[in-house]
Amino acid sequence: MLLTSPAALPDPASPPKPILQLVGLRKSFGGFDAVQGIDLDVREGEFLTIVGPSGSGKTTLLRMLAGMDTPSEGNITLHGELINDVPPNRRPTCLVFQSLALFPHKSVGENIAFPLKVKGVDAAARKARALELMRVVRLPESYFDKNVMKCSGGERQRVALARALAYDPEVLFFDEPLSAIDYKLKKTLEKELKDLHRETGKTFIYITHSLEEAMVMSDRIGVMRAGRLVQVGTPEEIYGAPVDRFVCEFVGEVNTFQVKRGPDGAWNGTDVPGTFTLQPPASGAVLDEAFVVVRPEFMRILAPGESADNRLEGVVYNEYSLGSRIQYQVRVGAKVMLVELSRGRALPSSADRRVTLGWDAADAFTLES
Amino acid sequence: MEHRRTKAAIWAWTLFVLVAIYLPIVCGALASFNKSRYFGFPIRTYATEWWQKTLDSIEIGMIVKTSISIALLVTVFSVVIATFGALAFARYEWKGRKLYQKLILLPIFFPQPVLGLAMLLGFNAVGIQTSWMTAVFAHMVWIVPVVTLIIAIQVYGFDASLEEAAYDLGCSRIQVFREVTLPLLWPGIWSGMLFAFLLSWSNFPLSLYTTGADSTIPEWLYAKMVAGYTPMVPALGTMATLGAAALLLAGGLVGILARRRAAA
Repeated sequence: MLLTSPAALPDPASPPKPILQLVGLRKSFGGFDAVQGIDLDVREGEFLTIVGPSGSGKTTLLRMLAGMDTPSEGNITLHGELINDVPPNRRPTCLVFQSLALFPHKSVGENIAFPLKVKGVDAAARKARALELMRVVRLPESYFDKNVMKCSGGERQRVALARALAYDPEVLFFDEPLSAIDYKLKKTLEKELKDLHRETGKTFIYITHSLEEAMVMSDRIGVMRAGRLVQVGTPEEIYGAPVDRFVCEFVGEVNTFQVKRGPDGAWNGTDVPGTFTLQPPASGAVLDEAFVVVRPEFMRILAPGESADNRLEGVVYNEYSLGSRIQYQVRVGAKVMLVELSRGRALPSSADRRVTLGWDAADAFTLES
Repeated sequence: MEHRRTKAAIWAWTLFVLVAIYLPIVCGALASFNKSRYFGFPIRTYATEWWQKTLDSIEIGMIVKTSISIALLVTVFSVVIATFGALAFARYEWKGRKLYQKLILLPIFFPQPVLGLAMLLGFNAVGIQTSWMTAVFAHMVWIVPVVTLIIAIQVYGFDASLEEAAYDLGCSRIQVFREVTLPLLWPGIWSGMLFAFLLSWSNFPLSLYTTGADSTIPEWLYAKMVAGYTPMVPALGTMATLGAAALLLAGGLVGILARRRAAA
């Protein structure tokens, strides 16, 4: 139902063997623990995105995988071989930097052919391969001799990508290469990157602070916070079954409120009025207090007589256009709830309108508070 | 008419600065074309005979050779040492870097005559006979810090991830240096070379103490001014100035051509 086509999903019956395995990986700088114990199997050929706010340790993690930092503790194995101390130039991996790190004194073609030059490939073969890669990343052939500093942002992305592919790595790392690109171009490049992943069949590990970016491209997403992986799963799992409030809120704007179990066993709202029907928490824990999360797109504005598992009375006090959708801010007691409706279902006049919000139990998450 | 007055003031000031800088040099050049042996204006008869005599003099030939030898050696050694020094100065984080950054500046601020005397005493103390080769060392004590700073500016100006990227793309450490570090530092190294040569070429106080029996152009000019003036003094002085100017011009031209090629 959501976001990812079934073809991109790994087959759970026979999971591909891990290409990279991280066991108890830690990294400290002085007294600061940037990465605090990460265990992760990266499957061969998957597009894995590590997402987290700045300072969550994702760049440090990537630098360890690429060989530019050495782990303080723990192991990294590639095809079962320990590579902790293997330098970057001996690893079959390649990092696309946030700054792209294109060589300003070399032309587009020389940049792309650089890894081949280092390997000792002769000039004619280098040029042929570079031109081939330029076609793959959709750069016109005439750019071969162009000064790389005179290329646009999007063109530079493509040069960096082609250069990384020229190295022919087994695993490609990406350190937020799209963060400085304008929205529209970013959307195009995201899709191209996903296509490229499918075409090359290589393992991609991508880091970003944008979950939206992660959702579009990834087979799996790992959410990182304060040096730890909080959750690893398919985009559906991250979106549909977040393990905690952090992941939940990271995915997007959400409605949250507290509930407490009454003497009769029913869930009563603490900061909103009412009694609610909830799903048991995914963790299976038995709780007396819980934290309920309802995404704005699952919140409905009920027509008279329309039924829903749960309902709340409120007053609309603001509306925002999100383009194809409209977001309403609804005051419920002291809290503000968000409701997103498609443009076709917009309220005729919204200001100070009394509304009844409703949602079904299956569309909400119950989390430990 | 405020505007016009401002403009006039700017022009007047500019003219004054230019005259203040270049008039003495022109005077020196004119003095070298005086037919008379003695220094004095106005010049009654112009002649090129002192230029001819200067060019023919075996003594001056040796002095010029000494100056060029010192300057070339200083240039080569300084640039090599300063390039690595600049990387330590501006690129790498290491214990003691802050102290190093300050210590390297000290020789620049130290008065050169004192530095020269100190080095002469030092050479004597360890029993080294001073000659033009000891002057190479003495010049470097002062010039290496200057060139280090010039190249360090270039090091600050380039993204360290370029070196990491090259390393990641399969380069050995040496290949990273040859393919990325050196070409990107080249403009800084080039200006460092010019500075090293010109600072050594025109240095007097350090040479005075440390060349021993040998003599450089500035030393010879000084000695002849003190005793035994002939118009060969301004003639050689003008030649030395023109030589330096030609070197600078050629250096600038190479820089422009290199930039043009890079921009193509």
